[in-house]
Formats: sequence, C-alpha cells, structure tokens
Amino acid sequence: MTTAQPAGQSRKRTSLRTDILEERPVNLDGFVEEWPEKGLVAMESAFDPEPGVRVEDGVIVELDGKPRADFDFMDTFIAAHAIDIATTEASMAVPSDEIARMIIDPRTSRDEVLAVIRGLTPAKILDVVRLMNVVEIMQGMQKMRARRTPANQAHSTSARDNPIQVAVDAAEGAVRGFAELETTLGVVRYAPLVAIALQVGGQVGRGGVLTQCALEEATELELGMRGITAYAETISIYGTESVFVDGDDTPWSKTFLASAYASRGIKMRFTSGTGSEVQMGNAEGKSMLYLEIRCILMARGAGVQGLQNGSISCIGVPGAVPGGIRAVAAENLVASLCDLEVASGNDQSFSHSSMRRVARLMPQLLPGTDFVCSGYSAVPNADNMFAGSNFDTDDYDDWNTIQRDLQVDGGLRHVREDDILAVRRRAAEALQALFRHLDLPTITDAEVEAATYANSSNDYPLRDVLADLKGAQSVMERGLTGVDLVKGLEATGFHDVAENLLTVLRQRVSGDLLQTSAILTPDFVPLSAINDANDYAGPGTGYRLQGERWEELKKLRHVTSASNPETEVS
Amino acid sequence: MSSPTTERTLKLREIGPARRGTRPDEVVIALSPAFAGIFSKTIVEVPHAEVLRQLLAGIEEQGVTARVIQVHDTADLAAISHLGARLSGSGISVGVLSRGTTMIHQRDLARLSNLELFPQSPLLDAPVFRQIGSNAARYAKGESPEPVPTRNDQMARPRWQAKAALLHLKEFETIEAGRGPEEVELDFELSSAG
Amino acid sequence: MTASTSRAPLTTADYPLSVNRPDLLRTPTGKALSELTMDAVVSGALTAADVRIAPETLLLQAEIADAARRPQLAANFRRAAEMTAIPDAEVLSMYNALRPRASSAEQLDALAGRLEGEYGATACAALVREAAEVYGRRDLLARPEQD
Repeated sequence: MTTAQPAGQSRKRTSLRTDILEERPVNLDGFVEEWPEKGLVAMESAFDPEPGVRVEDGVIVELDGKPRADFDFMDTFIAAHAIDIATTEASMAVPSDEIARMIIDPRTSRDEVLAVIRGLTPAKILDVVRLMNVVEIMQGMQKMRARRTPANQAHSTSARDNPIQVAVDAAEGAVRGFAELETTLGVVRYAPLVAIALQVGGQVGRGGVLTQCALEEATELELGMRGITAYAETISIYGTESVFVDGDDTPWSKTFLASAYASRGIKMRFTSGTGSEVQMGNAEGKSMLYLEIRCILMARGAGVQGLQNGSISCIGVPGAVPGGIRAVAAENLVASLCDLEVASGNDQSFSHSSMRRVARLMPQLLPGTDFVCSGYSAVPNADNMFAGSNFDTDDYDDWNTIQRDLQVDGGLRHVREDDILAVRRRAAEALQALFRHLDLPTITDAEVEAATYANSSNDYPLRDVLADLKGAQSVMERGLTGVDLVKGLEATGFHDVAENLLTVLRQRVSGDLLQTSAILTPDFVPLSAINDANDYAGPGTGYRLQGERWEELKKLRHVTSASNPETEVS
Repeated sequence: MSSPTTERTLKLREIGPARRGTRPDEVVIALSPAFAGIFSKTIVEVPHAEVLRQLLAGIEEQGVTARVIQVHDTADLAAISHLGARLSGSGISVGVLSRGTTMIHQRDLARLSNLELFPQSPLLDAPVFRQIGSNAARYAKGESPEPVPTRNDQMARPRWQAKAALLHLKEFETIEAGRGPEEVELDFELSSAG
Repeated sequence: MTASTSRAPLTTADYPLSVNRPDLLRTPTGKALSELTMDAVVSGALTAADVRIAPETLLLQAEIADAARRPQLAANFRRAAEMTAIPDAEVLSMYNALRPRASSAEQLDALAGRLEGEYGATACAALVREAAEVYGRRDLLARPEQD
C-alpha cells in the first residue's frame, strides 16, 4: 500500500516491521466490511427477526413475527415439520440466557437440553447462541454432539481424475483413521470409475470405511442405488426460498430425496452452511447464522439423520467478516442441539495463514464432533477437486502432534511408512485386477509402482483420458453394481477386500447405518448415537482419550526413546 | 496485470428477443445481466471485450458460428447457461458471469449438470477463454474434446471468495424479473486509457 | 415373511439390529443376513437385488428412531418403507417432478394419486400434496413453455 506523497518529495520512509507484516500470508486473505442490509454479516444483525411464536388449533400461525399468510416455503416447512407444537409456547417462554446456561451446564443432560430446543424457532435459537462466546460454544458442543466417539472424514480426489490415485490415497486415509471418504470429479463423466476406485481403496486401508461421490443430485442417487457408493452428503439445502429455488430444489423435493436414499438402505445427510445465500446473491437482508439456523431446522423437519455444516464451500464469506468463525462454531452447535449428526466443515481452504487454519479448527477439534472435518484432504491440496481443503496431506504430522499435545482425539493416528506403502500398493493392485476383470481401461504395473510411492498426481504416468471416459460410460451402460465389484475382487484373489466390501453392502439390508451418526468400526459393528450415545456430564465423563487409544496417539514420526535415548521409538 | 495503452471496450446492442436457433453449427454465448454493463471486466480484470473476443475466436477457429444473448432475469450461471443451450441450434452454449465464472452446457443435461464447469473465476485468463470457445464448438460438431485443463488454486477461495460475493451481490441487483433474454450484437470500440 | 406381530416394540437396546436382532432381518427377496455370503456372490445366488433394504426393516428402524425420540427421522423411514416398492428410475423421475417449476398442479396431483393407488404410499402422497399446495402459493408450479 503506497502512501500519499506531495509531488516532488522523496518516498516517505516506512517501518521495516510493516514491510515484514505486509508479506505475511494472512495479508493475502480476503477481508470485507460488514454489509448487514445485504446479509454480509455473521450473526449480529439488527435486521434479523425478533423471536416469537403463536399457535392456534395446533398450527403455528405466526413465526418470528411473520404471519402465516406471509410465510415463504421455508417458514411453512419449518412450522409444519421442525418445531414441536406441543412444547413450543412453553419453551419459547424460557429466557434465552437460561437456555444458554442449560447448554453449557454439565449437570443438565443432553436429553433435557434437546427437550427445550425442539420447541424453539430460528430467531430464538439465534438469540440463545448469540449469548455464547466461542469457549461456551465449545463447551456446549462437548455435551451436545450426538455420537460419543468423535470421528473424521477425508477427501480423496485427483487433479487428473486418476482413479488409481483416488484408490491409493483412500487406502492411506483409511489406515490413518478416517471413517468416511468423499470424492468428486473435475470432469463429471469420470464419476463411475473414480467412485469405484474410492470404494475399493477405502476397503483396503481398513474395512468399514463409508464412501461417497459428490455430484448433481440425481446422478449421485443413481450411483448410490447401484452400491458403488455407500452414503451421500452433498444434498444441499439453503436458507432462503429464492436461493433454494436457484439450486433447483425445495424442502419437499429434498425431503423426498432423503427418503429415496433411505429406501435403498443408503445413509445420507444434508449439506448447508453460513454464507451460501449471500454468496448466491440473495440473503434477503438476514444474517448468515440466522439463515443457517433455518437450514438446520429444515433438515430436522425433513427427518434426515445429519447435516454437513460449518460454512463448507462458502467459508471465505464468514471468514471475511468479523466474528465469522465464531458463527461457524455456533452453526455446528445448533445442528447438535437439533439432535443431528454434524460433519463439521474444516474441509475447504480458508486461509493462507497456518495459524488461522488451525484456529478455525479448534472449536470442532477440542470438544469433538461427529466428524471433526467433513473433508480433510487425503491428497495434496493441488489435487483436491473441492477447490482445496483446510488441511491436506502435508499437515498429517502436525495434526497428530496437536492431538498428542492436547490429548484430544481428532480421529487420526500416525502410521508407519512401511504400513502405508503396503496398503497403497495393495489398493493399486486390487484396482488393477478389478479393472482387468471388468474390461475397464488397463492399469499398468508401472502405474501401480508409481502409485505406491507417489505424493501427487504429478507422480503418476498420464492416463488415456478418453479411454477412461469411455470406460466410465460403459460402467453405467452395463449396469455394474457393488455386487459386481465384490465378485471381481473375489475372482482376482483379493478376498479380504472383497469380504470387506460385501460386509459394507450387507449393512444396507439392516438399515443400521441409517440411524443418527452411524459409522462402522474397524470390526464392522455399527456405531451410532443410539449405541454410543453421548453421556457427557462434566469432568471425568463422556468420551475421554485414554487407554489403548491414547497410547496409539502418543506415537509420532520421531519420538526419542526413554529407555534408550540414542534411539527413537519405532 | 499490465494493460495495453489502448483498451478494447465492449457494448452490447440489443437486436431483439432471443429465439431458438435452427442451424446445427452454432454455439450460443449466454451473458449475465451486468455483463458489459455496470461491469466491464472480470474479477481478475480481464476486460469483457477480451473475454468475448477469445470465446468468439475459439469458436470460429472450429468453423462454427456464434450467437450472443444476454439473460436478464437471473444471475445464476447454470440457469443462464442452460437457457442458452436450449436456444442453441446445436444444443451447446457457453454461459458467462460478469466476474468470469463460465460453463459449457448442453440442452439435454439436467440444469445443474454441465459439460464443463470453470468455477474459479480468478483462474480464468484470455487463453483459457479461447480454449473454452474452441471446446464448445467441438461439442457442437458432435466431437468429444478433452476437457479444457485449468489450474486448481486452492488459495483462490480465501483470497477472492468474499470479493466474488460482493460482485455477485452487485450483479444480482441488476436482475430484472420477467425480462426475457435478448439477442445482442457486439460493438467493440478502441479507446485510449489515460 | 417377518417376525410375528406379537413381539414387543423395539427399544434402543435392540440396536444394532444386524448384531442384536438379525432374526428380524430379511432382504426384500426373503433372504436372511446369514445367507448373504461370498459363496452366494460367487455362485450368482446373490445379486444386487438382494443387497437392498426391505420395507419391514425400515419400519423396524422407524420404531427404534421413535424410541430414541426422533419422530421426524422415524417419519422419513416410514416414507422410505413405502418407496421400496417403487423402481429406481421412477423414484428418480418422481424426485425430479418435485423440483421447482417441474410440474403443473395436475401433474403433482396425478403423482400423488399414483403413489397412493399404485404403491400404497400414503405418506409420500401426503408429502406431494403438501408440496403442490405450497408450490401453488409460491409460484413454483410449471409455467407454460415460452419460446
């Protein structure tokens, strides 16, 4: 930034320190002034509605000051499906600060909090969380998340949509501890090959990992129906009617879609996040968090088990305004308050500054959420086809160190080099064999070798893109399904991978993965908010990082041995 | 980014309501409401004149003609592009927002799907627009070109997303509900920059 | 086909069904979980049609969701139970029909009628009728084609 100078004078002397600060990565980030009239404000806006509800004959006739005749379709849906009519008037009468206290008080159980929240309107919920600073929000999250055991989710993608890369990075991600894996494409038509690769790789690292492929709604459902993916997440909802319609959906179409997934035994969650409405041009003058709370209630009304939120792909928007990251923490908490599984963001590149990236993570990592990241990049960010995640493969050792420093379980662990190489090679070989068996474009031994030791897509031989696209098309035309993948893996000698995949597919029959916050343990046991309910009730209770798991997380790449300080712990 | 001492500017001249084309060798370029209006360049300051010049050149190089329309009742890229595709004789369109976000669409695809999507407006420069034009024309001819490679800059979001939101809000304000799409002719002018 | 109607309602202690109550589970094709083996895959006895969820199972999961005090989730599962009868392609086209401006009032009414009449999907039909009413008020029904 140049300083104004009178003509003819020499350049004014600037501070050497300022020169250094100007060059800091944080000053490459984008920051904007608030514009509350347009909704470019995190959670403190004079234009958000006042809380209120009126019920007549079992029907909500006024919601946050708006009479029924003026309801848009979000108001209508929320009033009809999301708010508990029997308790709403009583719950709305409880002072907001009292509710906020209940949320952070360890002696008030999760169930007691849920009982009050289920009768609240969007503006009232906002009123409650506005009273909470970020520490209180974290304290609330610790008690209110649905599943007792925290977990983590990763992306596995490729800048070249290279299926081998997706498979081996999925395998490495799985062995490092991710419970869910997500992929997407640069070129949509590649989807079937890449989805298959993710499914196969995910079952090599450790069995029981659930996989998804983020696409346009109907295409994503089709892949799920065939058993090529195990769950779906990028089913987007929005906080204003106009933006929802621009996204070509309504609360009713999304509710129907949610049941469609359940009817095929496929787990799913919606996706929402602060900033999407203002980014799409029409926030109707409401704050980001107010609109996100509307989304959360819509999700609850639809009867989905969970929600991915925490701004997600719009993180640059709350990230640019004051208090934005506090609002992001609050939206995760509100989803938990509404008894939904939360896949809590940290999945989109957010800052050039490492300090800021980690600060953004703390409100989810420290208390724990159902999925601390809804997309840690298990590939280098240059290969991340979600336009970059908040964390990538370069950050693995830092992440594991922070877990060890603070004694928190972020779902990951350090894995030795030789173990990683072994799963990577096996994933590449399994995919190679499967492609050959299914008459899909060849994977060469050179590609398998490259994949084992690779870091990014630059380390792989180039593939014949057009042949792969034709192969992808043939997968759909031939009607290939998950059972065909199991058959192929079994026939080519990859019995354990085949068995793992069959076990995941078998879960569709039981529907156990449809319940709130359900994942599979490495032993393929469904673990959800039902059989792993969060029982946090103060110090010494709830999920604690201790015992065998803590011993595992004490391991890092280089730890000096106590018994023999001239060596390292192996 | 240095600018030439003489700049090409662009004005759009309406010549009538946009109609469905009949010739199979045309690509429709569908522009957003504020394109070459309150905005004259993309988020990274590629002049709109240059964007169109490159798209047209790419299309023409493939021996295909281009028809340009401007959409006024939405600022949504998928809606703009798909509308253009439905009006295009070949069924292929290129949709462009003022800040530069671009999409190649096809009329039989679902609105929210596409043939190629270029979502990171800060990464689109003149050569990429030319390749986009060329690919669109090749789809129009029934070919299957390799998708246009684009850089993947994961720092585009932290740097540009909020500014893009502001630009979008401004473009959104120019929407005229109920005003149908117009076919436009392009008036390129040379002006000297100061 | 399924467990006797005189069983006690499920509680959260019955979850997960695949571990605690596999006796209650059947595929839509009538197979037990224990029959879904690798041998069956290899021999071709097990196909994609077998790894789907049966409507009865969705109703069991709905009972568990109710026991866990998640009534909307239970309602979702009950709609899903109805939808198991609808073929994949038709589910997709029904979803597309519910998108903004995709259908006229008459088409949505016909859709609701088909859900009820053809598939006995009364909860789904109610959802569609509710949508039709709201779409009518909010200008989200199909407009006549402009050209």
